Amino acid sequence: MNILIPDSWLREHLISKATPKQVSHYLTLCSQTVEKINQVKNDSVYDIEVTTNRPDCLSVYGLARELNAILSQNKIKATLKPLVENQKEIPQIKKSLPLKVKITQPSLCPRFTAIIFDQIKIKPSPKVVQDRLEKAGVRALNNVVDISNYLMLELGQPMHTFDYDKIKGAKMILRETKKGEKITTLDKITRTLPQGAIIIEDGEGRIVDLCGIMGGANSEVDSQTKRVLLFVQTYDPMKIRRTCQALAFRTEAAARFEKGVDPGGVMPAMKKAITMFEKNCGAKVASHLIDLYPNPKKEKTVTLTQRKLNHLVGLEIKLVEAGKILENLGFKIKTDNNQLKAMVPHWRHEDISLPEDLIEEIARIYGYHHLPSHLPQGEIPEQKKAPRFEWESQVKQSLKDWGFTEVMTYSMVSLSQLEKSFLDPNDNLKISNPLTKDWAYLRSSLIPSLLTVLVTNHQEKIMIFELAHVYLYQSLKELPEELPMLTGMVNGQQFYQLKGIVEAILTMMGIDKYQFEPYQLKQTFYGKIFHPSRSAEIMVKNESLGVVGEIGPHLTAKFGLKGRVTAFDLDFRELVKNASKKKQYEPLSKYPAQVEDLALIVPPQTLIGEMMTVMKKISPLIVSLELFDSFQKTRTFRITYQNPRKTLTDKEVGKIRKRIIKRVKTKFDAKLKQ
Amino acid sequence: MDISKIQNLKNQAISAVLEAQSDDELERLRIAYLGRKGEITQLLKTIPSLSASEKKEIGQSINDAKKAIEQAIKDTKKSQQTQKIDFDQEWLDVTAPGKRPAVGHLHLVTETIEEITDIFEKIGFTRKTYPEVEWDWYSFGALNMPENHPARDDWETLYLDKLKHQKYGRAVLTPHTSSGQIREMEQQKPPIRMLNIAKCYRRQADVSHAPMFYQFETLVVDKDINITHLKGTLDYFARQYFGKDRKTRIRPFHFQFTEPSFEIDVTCIVCGGQGCPVCKDGWLELGGAGMVHPLVLKHGGIDPEKYSGFASGFGVERVLMMKYGLDDIRLLFNGDLRFLNQF
Repeated sequence: MNILIPDSWLREHLISKATPKQVSHYLTLCSQTVEKINQVKNDSVYDIEVTTNRPDCLSVYGLARELNAILSQNKIKATLKPLVENQKEIPQIKKSLPLKVKITQPSLCPRFTAIIFDQIKIKPSPKVVQDRLEKAGVRALNNVVDISNYLMLELGQPMHTFDYDKIKGAKMILRETKKGEKITTLDKITRTLPQGAIIIEDGEGRIVDLCGIMGGANSEVDSQTKRVLLFVQTYDPMKIRRTCQALAFRTEAAARFEKGVDPGGVMPAMKKAITMFEKNCGAKVASHLIDLYPNPKKEKTVTLTQRKLNHLVGLEIKLVEAGKILENLGFKIKTDNNQLKAMVPHWRHEDISLPEDLIEEIARIYGYHHLPSHLPQGEIPEQKKAPRFEWESQVKQSLKDWGFTEVMTYSMVSLSQLEKSFLDPNDNLKISNPLTKDWAYLRSSLIPSLLTVLVTNHQEKIMIFELAHVYLYQSLKELPEELPMLTGMVNGQQFYQLKGIVEAILTMMGIDKYQFEPYQLKQTFYGKIFHPSRSAEIMVKNESLGVVGEIGPHLTAKFGLKGRVTAFDLDFRELVKNASKKKQYEPLSKYPAQVEDLALIVPPQTLIGEMMTVMKKISPLIVSLELFDSFQKTRTFRITYQNPRKTLTDKEVGKIRKRIIKRVKTKFDAKLKQ
Repeated sequence: MDISKIQNLKNQAISAVLEAQSDDELERLRIAYLGRKGEITQLLKTIPSLSASEKKEIGQSINDAKKAIEQAIKDTKKSQQTQKIDFDQEWLDVTAPGKRPAVGHLHLVTETIEEITDIFEKIGFTRKTYPEVEWDWYSFGALNMPENHPARDDWETLYLDKLKHQKYGRAVLTPHTSSGQIREMEQQKPPIRMLNIAKCYRRQADVSHAPMFYQFETLVVDKDINITHLKGTLDYFARQYFGKDRKTRIRPFHFQFTEPSFEIDVTCIVCGGQGCPVCKDGWLELGGAGMVHPLVLKHGGIDPEKYSGFASGFGVERVLMMKYGLDDIRLLFNGDLRFLNQF
């Protein structure tokens, strides 16, 4: 949360010659980050981001306190002025105006204080108040309302003012709402409240305050107001947060209450408020102070040893010096020999409880910028990098070199993407609170995402791939399986091109025993995606590594794609499992090879892949067999024969050739072309 | 006599001729096949003893083989001779476009991940990977985030429908790579130097936030790890990744799972640290870091009295956007090739 703090206001509490630039510099390095300094009139206004653990710094006084410790440490003289109002006695009066308060559950409002003022004259605030509020980004309204805003900024304690005469029966019940109760807030908007909001109802059962967030219009201070009821409270932060979220509505006060407001800061704020009411509004205290604080916070002491401090900071800061830093931050310190006991100030009660917490305080004020930089010195752990990462880089690099563009798409897909791909939404993990319906399911396949990429691009030739997890449901009690898939896609009918790519990947990964089988498993999810007679399954040791083929025309039509699309979809985990970097040295043959071309006439729909496997198996002397040419029914093969131990004779080659011709004749009805 | 034998002899001779390296070798081959006692010559001598029908067919193919081998020897000799070359005749227009092989593109995130991995591997970190869909315990509980912490809210973090572990709670899409810290500690005893690069998810989308993004997380746990080591490691990274002139600074910050906690800034790339509209007073925010909270060590089964550690978590897209001056993170994930093909 960011706040705006005028420099002049800061100087009311902090005496120092530090320039605004120095203030900004050191505050950023040692405490809260100053994002920028705005020049407003003759003043510098700091725009400060305050971390969630430091609600005490959401105030002028809190930052002055920090700066006091920080500047002193950096050899710039600084003095924090005490709050004089803390010494103020609350005026005792004989006849108090009545107010009956009932709090249904003490946890809703850990500390409740209230007081009533009479003889109020509504008018504009003094110039200095208006000026400071404006610089801090708050609109000045009138002398009463401005006091609550002013003190919220100065001390970090939000407060609320009611027109006392609008509280029926001088009675207040602080309770939680039931679902559906309504209030019209000060901004004149009627809000239907969720269950569990903290509200106050008056003697007639009207809701007069949405506590900690905004007051009710029905009890608002207006120009006619004579008597004001002032509230200075703390509330259960969770209740405030839940209510704000349910209403999608958050005020400055609520933003503070939901981070937790210090109950110890209530009385100083109340005392200063009384002073300002007397001064700015001519008001007289007209009631006793009501202060309900049934469970005061217990004091907390944290112990820190010299050893631990040195150990975590990495250089020696003497406990005496550490103690001084903590004292400047408001801790009470006792130091003996090798340890330090720090009593935590009430405004840091929620944040400090371990020695490490004290170390952070000491080290940041000492200055992280004063610490040296070292690489870790210890032993380097011996760990092996997962082979997956190396293969990933290598395969991605190759695909790039073969002309593919790598895409990265969201892991989440829409119902429509699944439906268009004929994927059953019930097979995909559903996100219970998706941001939009475009990102409602965790994908079980990359194909819908890549088809979407094809749809959104209009280049003539597209070649893309993605290597990413798909998420596969296991059971309601198990995490999904995160399976890396390598999926490539090109537009057009490019079966042989992509098959070649897959073969090249397999070869590169050292997988040599594989088969492409006509795709049969029409019932599986692939069967619904790929073209039934124009796709092949890649098999290694009887395990499927994936599919290469044309995407079914029924899918591309649903996606609105005009031409055909070809894709491969590979299980990358299986690929890595089967991959090998092993290379085997074979002595180069000293004996010449014989090369010949063999032209065969084959019947229609002959599976050439299968035929080549059969041919190759005929003799170990066939060292290579390539499909050299394909024309009409003729398939020409280039066959290389070689014997590593001797020169092959024609007789030996002739024998093999005869066996080949015989085998393809009986098995495939193929004939030698004459 | 068999015609295929003649064919084979021819093939064998021609392939030997084509592979011959010198004139001497060619001459030897000529003698071996066509010389007085050469194999083809021997065959020719058998022609007269053949029957009339054989004479025609076999005689023909032996003669063909002879001619083919002679021709091959002649051609090979010719090509081996140094010829007088008319260079003007061989003119090429060298300014006409070349025939390029296809060149594709790696995604910027991939390139950045590789670069980051290299940088950290040099100082002993090992890249690891942990679940992207994780139980609440690993993502929040073990990281010291209380039950009611805002990060656990439904409007901050994405949850999976119905999935729940009896002990570890709901299944979440990890909002940070820090969920890998406990997994690492569970399987690796100190010394630990982990680099976890993974997809993370948060329930927000605008120019600087995508609902899916990458983080890289370092975790170091050892006997004497202190703040100066965190500073040293992150300085090293910033110099390596952004260049030697870059300066870094650490500012106090707050995270539940580190104490003390920091944010790391690097001097602005645009203005070089002078201050400009892109940066905050000359600095750009890199990411969060801190000393591992003792409770987190304990949850990972490591004794915080014996060991200490530091961790950092930076956005991959954030650092690359800073480096390349990219202004919309969503460009990285929407598959627009006009963008992707620029890199």
